[in-house]
Parts: sequence; C-alpha cells; structure tokens
Amino acid sequence: MTTYFIRRILLMVPTFLGSTVLIFIILQMAPGGPLERTIQQLQAGAMQQGESIGNVGDVMSGGSTVLPESAMRELKRFYGFDKPIYQRYLIWLGVWPRETKHREVEFSNGVTKVQKNVGRGNYMTLQLDGDRVIVYTEDGVVSDVWKAAIDQEGSKDGVILATIFQTEFSGILTGNLGTSYTYDQPVTEVMAPRFKISVFFGLTGLILSYVVCIPLGIRKALNHGSAFDFLSSVTIFVAYSIPGFALGGVLLVLFGGGSFWDVFPLGGFRSPSEIWEAMTFWEQVKDQLWHAVLPIIAWSIGSFAGLTVLMKNSLLENISQDYIRTAFAKGLQEKRVIWVHAIRNSVIPIASGIGGIIGVVIAGSYLIEKVFDIDGFGKMGFEAIIDRDYPITLGFLVIVVIIRLVANILSDIALATVDPRIRFK
Amino acid sequence: MAEQKEISLSILKKRWLKFKTLKRGYYSFVILIILYGLSWFLPLLINNRALVVSYEGELFFPVISGYHAGSEFGQDVPGETIYRELKTSWKQEGSENWLLMPPYPYSPYEDITVQGNKMYEAPSDSHWLGTDNTGRDVFARLCYAFNISISFALVLTILNYIIGVIIGGSMGYFGGKFDLFFQRLIEIWSSLPMLFVIIIISSIIRPSFFLLIFIYTIVNWIGMTYLMRAEFYREKSKDYVAAALSMGQTNFKVMFKHILPNSLVPVITYFPFAVVGGISALVGLDYLGFGMPPPTPSWGQMLDVGLQNISKWWMVFAPVSAQFVTLIMVVFIGEAVREAFDPKVYSRLR
Repeated sequence: MTTYFIRRILLMVPTFLGSTVLIFIILQMAPGGPLERTIQQLQAGAMQQGESIGNVGDVMSGGSTVLPESAMRELKRFYGFDKPIYQRYLIWLGVWPRETKHREVEFSNGVTKVQKNVGRGNYMTLQLDGDRVIVYTEDGVVSDVWKAAIDQEGSKDGVILATIFQTEFSGILTGNLGTSYTYDQPVTEVMAPRFKISVFFGLTGLILSYVVCIPLGIRKALNHGSAFDFLSSVTIFVAYSIPGFALGGVLLVLFGGGSFWDVFPLGGFRSPSEIWEAMTFWEQVKDQLWHAVLPIIAWSIGSFAGLTVLMKNSLLENISQDYIRTAFAKGLQEKRVIWVHAIRNSVIPIASGIGGIIGVVIAGSYLIEKVFDIDGFGKMGFEAIIDRDYPITLGFLVIVVIIRLVANILSDIALATVDPRIRFK
Repeated sequence: MAEQKEISLSILKKRWLKFKTLKRGYYSFVILIILYGLSWFLPLLINNRALVVSYEGELFFPVISGYHAGSEFGQDVPGETIYRELKTSWKQEGSENWLLMPPYPYSPYEDITVQGNKMYEAPSDSHWLGTDNTGRDVFARLCYAFNISISFALVLTILNYIIGVIIGGSMGYFGGKFDLFFQRLIEIWSSLPMLFVIIIISSIIRPSFFLLIFIYTIVNWIGMTYLMRAEFYREKSKDYVAAALSMGQTNFKVMFKHILPNSLVPVITYFPFAVVGGISALVGLDYLGFGMPPPTPSWGQMLDVGLQNISKWWMVFAPVSAQFVTLIMVVFIGEAVREAFDPKVYSRLR
C-alpha cells in the first residue's frame, strides 16, 4: 500500500510537468499577450498626451505611435520574451538561470572594452571577445556574479549592444511565482489573502454540506418511499437543476435589498476595512456571518444534491444485502444493524468523493465569487486571464493543478482508510 | 449482466415501455421535444416582422423575404418598416391594406433604436417579461436562447460521445501502450481547470456557435472515455467477441458492430445528465462573457445584465427560471431513463 502511494506521488511529477507545459504553451502562443497590451497602452497614453499638447507630428507615424527601439527591448526583456519558449518555461520552473538586474552596455565602433557602473559604485569592465562578452571585476578577475551577452537584435551599424546581468535559479520550484504585472506585487503576496477567502467559503460550504447531506441521505434511505422522501427528493431535484451562481443571483435579488427584502448585503467578503477595523470582536463575527450566508448557500448547493443522493443510494444498496438480512435474522436490534453494520459500508463512496469535492470547492467557484463580488482566489485567476497577467494566471493554474492532484491522492487514502478490503497495487 | 448481453429491439422496446410508465420523465420528455421542435419555428412565432403583408393588392412575406424599407409600405420611418405601428395605423385609417403579425410581435434583437422601445420596462401585457437594459424584449430573448442552449448541449454531447466512444473504446479494446499513453494524456488533461482553459482560448478568439462547441469538445471529451474504456474492456473478454474475431471480423467491425451495441446502457443513461452539464456550462460561459458572441440571445448574458441591475427583478428571474425549468425537465428525463435502463430493486426497511 505504501509503495502504491509513493508511486502515485511520484507519478504526480510527470503529470504536473505535462499540464504546466500545456498551460504555458497555450498562454504564450496567445496573441494579445502582456507585451502587445503594454505597447497598446503606452501608445494610447502617448496619443492622449499628444492630443492634449496639440502637436503630435513627431510621435505619430501612420496613425500609431512607435515606441523607441530601446524601450521595446526593455519591455521584451521585462516580460521575458527575448528568450525562446522552452527557455522561458525552464526559467519559470526554476531550472534555467533567470537573468536579473539588466543593464545595457554599448560598444561603439571598434571599441572592445567598456566600463559600466553596476550600482553602489562598483564598476565592471566588459571585454568584447568575438561573439562573447567577458566581465572583469575591478580587481581584473573574471566576475562570477555578473555575466554579459550580446544583444543580436539591437546591434547594428558596427555599434554592438550588450547587456550585463546577474543570474539566479528562481522559479516555481523555489517558490518564486514571479511578480504580478497588474498588482506590481509578488504573486504569492497577491494570492495569499484571496486564497484564504476562498478556503474559508470552500471549507465552510464543504462542512455544511456534509453535515446536512449525510443525515438527510440516511433519513431518506430509511424512509424510502415515504412522504418525507418524496418531498426532500423534490428539493434535491430543484437543487440539482439550478447552478450555484444562478441561485446566488436569485438570492441577491430576493434578499439583497433590490426589489424585495433588504436582509443581506449585496456582496463583498466582509465590511470595508475602515469599518471592519473599528468593530469589536463580536461585531466582526456577526458581520462576517452576515456577509457569508448567501454565498455559502450558493456554494453548498452544488454538492448538496449529489451528496445526498449518493448517501441515500449507497445505504439503500447496503440494506438490501444479505449480511443485513443475516444481522436481522440473528436477532440484532434495528439500530445496531443500521448504525453499526450498514452505515459503515455506506460511507465508503462518500469518503472516496471527498478529494474531488475539495478540489472543486477550493478552486472552482469564481462564478459565485463574481456574483457576490467576493475578492477570492477564483476571481483573481479570472481577472488575471482577462488582464493577461501571466505570472498570476500561471501561478493560479499551478496551484489549482496541485490541489487537484493532491486531492486525487487524498481520495484514495480516504478510500483505503474507510474500506479495509481495498488493496491498491 | 445477462440482460445487457442481448440488446435487441425487443429489450429496447421493453425499456421504452417502462420509460413511458414513469410519468414525470415521460411527460417532461414529450413537453421538451415539443418545445424544442417549436423553437425551430420561432421566427414565425416571435418576431417583429409581419408574417403576411397585403399592400395595395400585393402580398409580401417579410418573415421570409427579410428587410423591407418603411417607404415600401408607405410608412414614414427611417430604415426598416415597423410592422406593429403599421398595423395599428392601417387599422385606424380603416385602410384596405392588412398585415398579419406573429403571435408575439417582438424580435430578440430590436433595441431602443427601434421607435417605441423603452429600457427596463416592467412585465406587462405587451412585454410579458419586460425589457432589458437596451430595450430588448426579455421573453423573446428567452425563447430564442432556449433553442440555442438545447442545440448547443445536444451537439456538444453527441460530439463528446463520438470522441469518447472512439478513444475510450480503443483504449479498452486495444489496451497496452495505447491505453497507457492515453491514460497519461487524460490524467494531464483532467488536472487542468477546464473552464479556465476555455476562458483563455475564448479570450483569444471570439467564438461562434460551432467554434465554442469545438473548444468545449476539446476539453470535455474525457468524461465519456472513462465509461467506454471500462465497458469495452469488460466486453472484450466475452465469448462473442472471440467468436467474431475467429470468424475473421476486422477490429473495426468488432468494436462498432458487436461491442458498441452491448455497451450502450451507460451511454444512454448518462446522456440527459451530459445535456444538463452542457446547458449549465453555456450559461456559465455566457455569464462570464466568454460564450456566444453578442447580441446572440443567451440566458447567461441575460443573467449578467440582470445582476448588474438587481432592482429589475424580472431580468434575473426570467433567465434563471427558464434555465431551471429546462434543466429540471432534463433531469426528470434522465432519472426516468436511468430507471428504465438500469432498474434497481431496493428492499424497503419498513
């Protein structure tokens, strides 16, 4: 069994690499990436400025502004588009050196040696050597910190352009998800508070649906065919036929104070921070619950129907088994037969579903987050895609993939724990 | 198991008869079929163009012939004729000319640019479910969206089934390296958050109906492969397959002529639920703005606009109810199909 799980965990590695490669390719091949976007924004900005000044002649050419070449190079380097795609992927993973602290150096015609200030009064000497550039420190030794390379695109008319930079291995494997383009913060810092919000809703919803569904399923199975069974089945059909976010919308119209009752807030995770901070602890708890009621209902409705029906059917199936008849025949109490014999076997399929539900619950609810305007993890990922914020998009997808892979294994472990008959090979 | 072996006409017929006895599912099925059939004739039922116009002794059929400028019928408006006004004005004048409007004389596309349309009208006799933020009739859009949603879900499900049967079936039938390769591929594929991948792709290329189905199929074929792989794997080891092979049948024939009919039960029982998934997915995508290109009528887009104007309750309730009623009917059908194809006998405790 242990070997099975070790193998499963090892198999996660190729799957993880495969899916990240796929994500990476899809994102990088996409036109309208961050580079084009920034250029557009800069052009739009320049045009506006030009208009306001009233003289646009020199920045305009053919109706659009052209960015200076050095700025283009700078941008390309910033977004990493100066490298081929496989290098970009490896850099992002953290197994290929990432170039940082770029400085441009110009070798004018015939010059092969240039001094460059690299900050804090440190000067490096760059020596042109064929198509390589060697960096010497002030002591005249080859620097092991600074490296340099010729910029093929930028070099022309005998003027050779080079960049001097440091390298480091830093990528997702070292915990560096990069810096967000839109928030201008490390991706992990952008993610952490939003992830917490999503986990709060996800886990509350998960616990709530288990607390409601398992007893409900048991009761329905024990009273199969009764009026209670019928009525709750109707509720289940209704719940199954209405997606969580649509229900959320209806709840908002009904209780959000638009046209009917003004009971709950229109959205948000909690009150704005200025109000939130002025509250006492109990007020905070109240405020949090007040904001959370509607989203959590919408959140839980998705798993409600499936989970209840699963519990009911699984218990019903067990009740019609021979071992239950045997248990009754040998004179056991009904309570004991059901709660000790039947239930224990009936929770097996529920336990195996737990991983999948965790995966979906934690990552899958951007629709609900959008309806309730909650600044959660899913919404962040969604907005990152729209804004072409690749570091966040990639980081988001990576975390979702990891959650899913781990959740799958969790499912198996849960299954093996509740069902001793199961032997994974 | 023994029952599954012989899906002949008789057992299909038996199941159909059983399905008919399950009233809830059967009636949902009949109603849905009728509604979907009718929805193909929506231009004749819900439209702002007249069915027949008799003008100075000549007959016109604007529903079919399309654009007619107002001046053609002596109406003083810029652009296209407004048939509703033409009708009332002819009536008031007591003129010889007459025209026949569709039963519900609004089109899902006409907005406030057409004379007389207003934004955010509450439900009334003329606009049964009010109008939306651009003055379009909510009821008309609802009905057209019904047709698109169901068509989308049906085409999507059938495509997924074809791919799922071919790939999943081959995996189960051939096994070995082929199976292993596709298993890895599927594992990678299924670890991706698919709705996000669709959003990424849709944000790059503005999808049309078929492009959206294509994108959705690429990411959604996996579900069926699990089922088919298991089915084919099990059936492969049965005697009739060995018999067919020993008689020199090709792999292709064995797979699709012999095994497939015997593996249809999960395919059919899963179908309605796949349709539910398809409809919900389209609503979700449209809600996020990555579905059908505007101004295609869609429940998701209507919900989006509705939630931006939350005090106009009809704009939220209408699409949610339409979706809800449609889905619950499909779910009823699914439940009845499952009952008919895969009956389970539960002993009751009391």
